[in-house]
Parts: sequence; C-alpha cells; structure tokens
Amino acid sequence: MKVEEAPNPLAEGLHDYRVADTAVMVIFGATGDLSGRKLLPALYNLAKQRSLPAGFAVVGAAMSDVTDDAFRKLASEKIHQFSRTKPIDDRVLEAFLSSLSYVKVDFSKLDDFRALAQRLQELDSSRHIPGNRIFYCATPPPTYQTIALQLQAAALNTGGGFHRIVVEKPFGSDLNSARELTQTLQKVFPENSVYRIDHYLGKETVQNILAFRFANSIFEPVWNANLIDSVQITVAEEIGIEQRGAYYDQAGALRDIVQNHALQLVALTAMEPPLAFDATAVRDEKVKVLRAVRPLLGDDIAKSTVRGQYTKGWVLGEQVIGYCDEKNVAPDSQTETFAALRLSIDNWRWAGVPFYVRAGKRLPKSVTEIRVQFKRPPHLTFGREAMQEVDPNAITLRIQPEEGISLKFGAKVPSAGLRIRSVNMDFQYLTSFLVEAPEAYERLLLDCMIGDPTLFTRADEVEAAWHLIDPIEESWRNGVPPLGMYPGGAWGPEAATMLLQADGREWHRP
Amino acid sequence: MAPAVTTTLKDEPELMWHGDGVKMAEVLEALNRIRADFARAEAGDHEHAHPRNCVMTLVAVSATQAEERRAQRTCRIIGAQHPAQSIVIREEVGAHGHGLNAWIVTDIQRPSMASAVECEIVTLHIHGAAADHIGPLVDPLLVSGVPTYLWWMGTPPFGKGELHEALRICDALVFDSSRFEEPYHALRGLSKLITIAHERLGLADLQWSRLRAWRESLAQFFTPFDRRPFLAGISELGIDYAGDGRGNRIGAAFITGWMAAALGWKLQRAAAGPGGIVAAYYRAGQRTVEVHFRSVRKEHLAPGELSAVRVAGTAGGMTFRLSVQRDPERPPIPPAEPAYQTMHPTGGEDEAGIELASRRAEWHREVLHENLDSLHHTATGDPPGESRPRHPVVFTRERRRTDTAQVFLTIIEIGESAPLRHVQQVEHQDEATLLLDLLATGTHDSVFNRSLLRAFELMRKV
Repeated sequence: MKVEEAPNPLAEGLHDYRVADTAVMVIFGATGDLSGRKLLPALYNLAKQRSLPAGFAVVGAAMSDVTDDAFRKLASEKIHQFSRTKPIDDRVLEAFLSSLSYVKVDFSKLDDFRALAQRLQELDSSRHIPGNRIFYCATPPPTYQTIALQLQAAALNTGGGFHRIVVEKPFGSDLNSARELTQTLQKVFPENSVYRIDHYLGKETVQNILAFRFANSIFEPVWNANLIDSVQITVAEEIGIEQRGAYYDQAGALRDIVQNHALQLVALTAMEPPLAFDATAVRDEKVKVLRAVRPLLGDDIAKSTVRGQYTKGWVLGEQVIGYCDEKNVAPDSQTETFAALRLSIDNWRWAGVPFYVRAGKRLPKSVTEIRVQFKRPPHLTFGREAMQEVDPNAITLRIQPEEGISLKFGAKVPSAGLRIRSVNMDFQYLTSFLVEAPEAYERLLLDCMIGDPTLFTRADEVEAAWHLIDPIEESWRNGVPPLGMYPGGAWGPEAATMLLQADGREWHRP
Repeated sequence: MAPAVTTTLKDEPELMWHGDGVKMAEVLEALNRIRADFARAEAGDHEHAHPRNCVMTLVAVSATQAEERRAQRTCRIIGAQHPAQSIVIREEVGAHGHGLNAWIVTDIQRPSMASAVECEIVTLHIHGAAADHIGPLVDPLLVSGVPTYLWWMGTPPFGKGELHEALRICDALVFDSSRFEEPYHALRGLSKLITIAHERLGLADLQWSRLRAWRESLAQFFTPFDRRPFLAGISELGIDYAGDGRGNRIGAAFITGWMAAALGWKLQRAAAGPGGIVAAYYRAGQRTVEVHFRSVRKEHLAPGELSAVRVAGTAGGMTFRLSVQRDPERPPIPPAEPAYQTMHPTGGEDEAGIELASRRAEWHREVLHENLDSLHHTATGDPPGESRPRHPVVFTRERRRTDTAQVFLTIIEIGESAPLRHVQQVEHQDEATLLLDLLATGTHDSVFNRSLLRAFELMRKV
C-alpha cells in the first residue's frame, strides 16, 4: 500500500471522524429553492460540526446576475431561515460565508463554464485545493445532461483530484429516459463519480432498518418465508400536492413515491445481509432483490395493482378539495394520487410472501411504516376459543413520525381461565435517544465529499426500479385497472381493500 | 463528536423521598414504589404500563458538596437526553454512625411524540467503613444489561483496595485528569491501572475527550491523500499550555504521546526548564522530531488547557507548517510577554496580522531552542537531562471553567503559498456532553491507553 493510500494514523480512535477532502463544491441553481432550503443550511451545519476541512469552498452558479457579496447575503438569509440548528453561530457562519463565491452561468453557454473553470483554478491556488470538484445539480432534471456535457466541453471533468456530479431524483421518467440520462452522465463521469441523491436514504430512520436487521441476531433467523406471512409497506401522506400540481400531474404517485421511496423500503426490508456496510456490498444486495421482484405484466397488473385519486373530503378535521380542483391540475386528470401493489419476490428467502405496498396523498395521516406479519402458530395449543382474540405476531418498523419498533404477541389475560390476548411491546427511539438526528442532506453531502456512495442510488438500481414500474405505468395510462376514487381522508379506494381481501388479508391500520 | 447537550433544566427536580440513617433495603423499596407509581400514573386506567428504557447506570463519587451538586446537575442533564439510572455518592469523611442518608429526586421528560420518561437520581451520603465499600453498596441499584459507569469526580485512589473493589461492579472508570490533585502521581497510578485493569473495564478520561477537538484538527490536516506523506516529514511539534508546573503539562503530554504512539516516534531525551518549558527529542526513523512545550499566560484558560499546537516539517521537498490556536480573538500576547511582538510588528490592527506575527514569533522562539542541552543548562543550571521538580505540584484552585466553548484558528502554510486560515467553533464540552459522548463511543479506547503510556514516559523524563 502506498503511503498516501494508507489510513491516516492520527484519525484512529476518533469516532465519527468524517472529514471531507478539501474540495470546491459548485452548486448549479445556487439561487434556487433547493439550494436555499437544504444545501446551504446543510453545509453550514457541516461547518459547525467541523466536518468541512480548511480550504473547502463553495461556488454558486446560476443564471441570476448577482455578486459574491449578494450571494453571501442570500446564503446568510437562507441559513438563518432554514438551518436545523438554531441559534446561528455567527463565528461559524462568517467563516462559512467567506468560503462562498458566485459565478453567473447560463447552462447553454460554454463560455460561462470556461469562466467557471477559471474561478475554480483560482480557488485551487489560493485555498490549497488539489483540483477536487463536486458539481451539484440543484436544477430541474432536464438540465442535468446539458450541465454534464458543458462540464465536459469546458474540461471540468478532468485534471488532478476527483470530479463528482450529484443529481437529484427523479432519475428519468421511465426506463428509457433513465438510461439516456445514465449514458450521458457516464460519458462525462465514471459511474463511481455519479451521485444520484434520494434524500430519503439519508434519513436516520431509513438507515435504522439496516441497523435493526443486521446489528441484531434475533430477527434475521425469522426473517424469511418460513415464518413470515406477508409484508405491508405504507407511505401515507395527509397533505395534498400543495404547489406541485404541474409536476405531480405528470408524475403521479407511482413515479413520485413508489418508484423510489417505496421500492427502497422493499429493498431494505428484503435484501440479503451485505458483506459490509459499504457502497458496493449494500447496493449489490439491493439491486439483487429488486431484480428478484417479479415484474407485473399483462393480466397481473389488473389483479395486483390499484390506482386511485382523491376527491374532496375531510382530513384532520378540515375539508379538502379534490385532486382535479387543485391548482395546475387538469380538470379531467387521470393521474393517480394513490397506488397499491402486490409484489412477489422470487428468491429462496421470500418465495410465496406477498409484499403489499401502498402510497398516497390525502390519506388520514402521514405515516411511513413496514409491517412484517408472521404466520399463525402451527397448532392451537390453547384451543380456538382461547385464541380468538389473538392476532398473528407482527413486527412493525415505524419510519415516521414516531420512529420505533413494536412487536405484537399473545399474552394470557389475568383471570382464572385461560384466555390469550394480543399485546404490543412498543419501543420508541425517542425515549432512548432524546437527541435530534442530523438532516438527511448533511449526511449525504458529507458522504459525497468523502466519496462514500453507499446511500446513493446506483444506475443499475434505478434501472431495476424502472423495469418494474414501466409496464404498470403503461397499463395505467391505458386505463387498466380503472382509476378508483376515494374521498380525502380515506385509506385509498375500495379496490385497495379488495386487493388484500382477495388474499384473505387486510391492511393494517397504522 | 456527538452534538453538544443543549438541554435547559427548567425546574428543580422533585424530591420524592428522603431518609436519614436508613438501610439500603429502604432505599430500594422507596425507589421501586416511585417507579411503580409513575408507571401507573402514566398508563392510565386502561393501558398497559409503558416500558422503561434505560441506557446506563452512572455512579458519581463525590467528596465535597460542590462536587455532589455538580454530579446531580450533570445527571439531570444526561437524564434529559437519555434515560439513565443515576446514583450520586458522597463520602462524608469523619462522620460516624450507622446507615445512610439518602435522597431520591425525579425528573420527568415528556417528548412530544413518545411516552414520558422518568429519571431518578439517588443521592447517598455514606460514612464510616461503608465508604470504603462502594461496590457492594450500590450493586443492588444497578440496572441489569446496560453499562455501569463509575465517575470518580476527584482523584481516584489509585492503588487502593477500595478503588479495585468498586471497579468490580462497573464497566468503566471515568475520571478527569485535569482535576487530579497531584497530577503527576495520579498519572503514574493511572498508567499502572491500565496494565492491570481487567479486560471488561474501560478507562475514560474527560481531559482526553476534551483533547479530541485538537486531535481532530491535527488529523484533518493530514487526511487528504496528497498530504499523507507529510506525516513522515514532521520535524517539529510545539505546544503552548496554560499554567506552569509539571501537573499542567498532562494535556500537552497527551498530545505528544498520541502523536508519538501513532507515528512510531521513540523518545530519546527530554528536559524541563523554568517557566514551564519542556524540550524533547524523538527519533522517527532516520529523522529527529523536536518537541517543545511552553507555558503561556492566558487568563481565560484553566491551568493545563492547551492554547496552541504547531506542527512543521518537510516532505518531498515541500515545507509545511500547521498552527492550531485556541480562542484567537483573545489578546494573543499578554503584557508579560511583549518581546516577540516588538520583534515582529504586525503592520496593522488586523487580528490576522497579529496572529501571524505572533505565530512567526513563536517559531522564532523555537529556533532559539534548537540546542536542547544548552537551553536546559541555561534555563536550569543543572547538567543536561537531570532536572526534576523536587516536589509534586499540588493544585488547590478550580482547574476547570464552566464556559467551555472554544474557537480554533488553523493556519496552514504549504510551500511558498500564502497562509490559509480556517476558523472552527468547538461546541461546549461540559461534563454531561463528554459523558454522553462516552456512552455513544464506548470507553475501551486503545488509542488513549497507548497515548497515556507514551505521555507518562515523557512526563517521567521531565
């Protein structure tokens, strides 16, 4: 091992020692919403945690014609408004702002990228940066390819140091567009330098699924078709589409939530234990399990999927309008705001165990959970009558809002006779860790700077997900199955209930 | 490092029970009753009782009323973050009689989205022979299945049977070497304890935890791959610390010991002079590494706290200098040391200019110290390498401040490039924060153990 590749001996024993290499982060769309709400506050908090090294610099790049000082002022305002930690530490903020500068970049103009290159070279020289670059596309997805190609044309993807690009979900709108995006990005950057960010994976609660499964030995032996009857994954939101009508009417629940968040939860629940918590091992296992999900084709789509759209109703005691009355939504829109799927995973561990997935808007409450339902005992030792109040065992992993784990099991009712009743053993993370978790973007930005893509989506993962979604999407656009309506505040259309009833099961009420 | 504890304790804890001259069985009975009452009250008429969570048992041993209060307050802060069983013990030296005086107070946390958590703090005043048998006394109060930390707030009685008996019931001994009354002797006792401690026992020093920010700042500089070769080119290490007397050099010795252990430096010789100056030579392969400590007067620093660390060297034909200074906004040159300021005028009122001039002055000063033997002889009048303080230095004043926020200014010079400044804020490092951090990271720290042994090796020489 060469000297420079060996671990830093001074870092030994420094727990949570995660410090980025000195680099310049270029934020395209730096004056936009994502940058102001998430990225700049996350970078400030990383600076506050001393995770940004000396010399680290941020260059804002956008169409707006603003000065360095104006950009710093904007950044300061956004950090004050949106930082997770308050009050703002003036000393840290001042030091962070001094690392910011701004370059006006029209994505269609190569000269602007050359000017950007010039600025980056100046920063390399003045801040001891060995050419390391992170290009963050906080811009609408259609611009990703343009930006990547312009970076290539300006030779910003080559030279000393590392060169990484970060793009936000959605990664394409179907399999073809996802492949096209991947091909373009890979022309400019090697795959291991492409960071596809889905902030969902940066959430502590989502990572906790892996900790629950693989840091404990008591769950894995029962985590298979021998003992598990079915798995239910719910990603429910009480809110409507808010200001995202134009986007949402094109996307729908299937592309907006199921293709990424819900399938990520399926993968994390069903994947085999990775050899290590590293990028290759974790993502290999996720891809394997996504590829093992049986594609829904032909008649299966009508039998195993449900789509619905909310109409006016009542949510949390307030009357809400129907989807077609929302702003920027076509009055006759057929876009689904609710999606439910029955998936099968064709591998040894999960053969015969259905995974029921549902996601929707204007449901009774916002909740994300994974419920693992176990089979009934093979023999009723205490007789049918004693057991009539007993549900099968279940483990529920609550992702939000009350993160925790509960285990349902039967216990004897105190009485002279022998009656068994279901009880819940409930663990709430908040009662053991009364501390605030870091924001997902802080974790993911630092991972990207360090060069750890474990929590980022790999190209084959994206394609595997679209491979499952595309046929469903096509069938739904052709009206199969028909769009079911549900009033705001209900758990989806009636067909969703029927989907499980057909299997002799019912949805768990979160 | 875990986020700093920012909990504000709003009210006084509620005194739930008190007994004078009681037996431990009565304390246990009272504690169980308090817990059962809370569980019933929270569950209501139709619910099952909520499960109790507990992440550790913290046993704090205090010798004075001030320490007892500090322990109680720290336990409350920890309880507000993580449910813990806290026991505060105060040895009442000279008191006689049977039984214990005991108090149980409770704090209830009500997270917005989780069930309420009650934390009890049991305070025991013990006297007579019982004070020598803390282990068996608190054993019945320990929570099964979670770590037990024994936090000795003063100087643990190293080498005495009472400490070894107490260590049998705990998973870790927590102490603060910056509070040791006779630091040199305590360090010696500690280094012996490391060699005989049972495998399960962790040793955690809060002063070592406080040095983490320094270690991180130093490690950060060498983290980029292109700077990794600099590690093998270090030729100088300079450390400024507050206070004088060898007891105040523990922090500086820890940093030196840490680097020596990590980088394979071997101590060749060392000597100390008046004014807190220490010079040491280490062998690193074919190179020599010079280490210099010096005492600085900084009113805002407690004795023993570090003020600055400087590393310099050459690798691959490139020179590098790293300087990490604490709280640079404070007047860097106290009135008592104006000489180097005049030799290196700053050229303006700018704080950066003052810092740079100060830094140049510090380097200049170290050039004067190149000849260790002549320095030693000049400073002490003793033959080279033979100077030792004749008496241990005993500190009677408070060695830790309550305001623990720090600002680090890192200045990096590589080759001929202009210096790069980097300001970092180190969050409050109060005892509760440090203890919680230990809970998250564990107390079995082989780096600490190695660094301690190498630090003591240096301390012994000077």
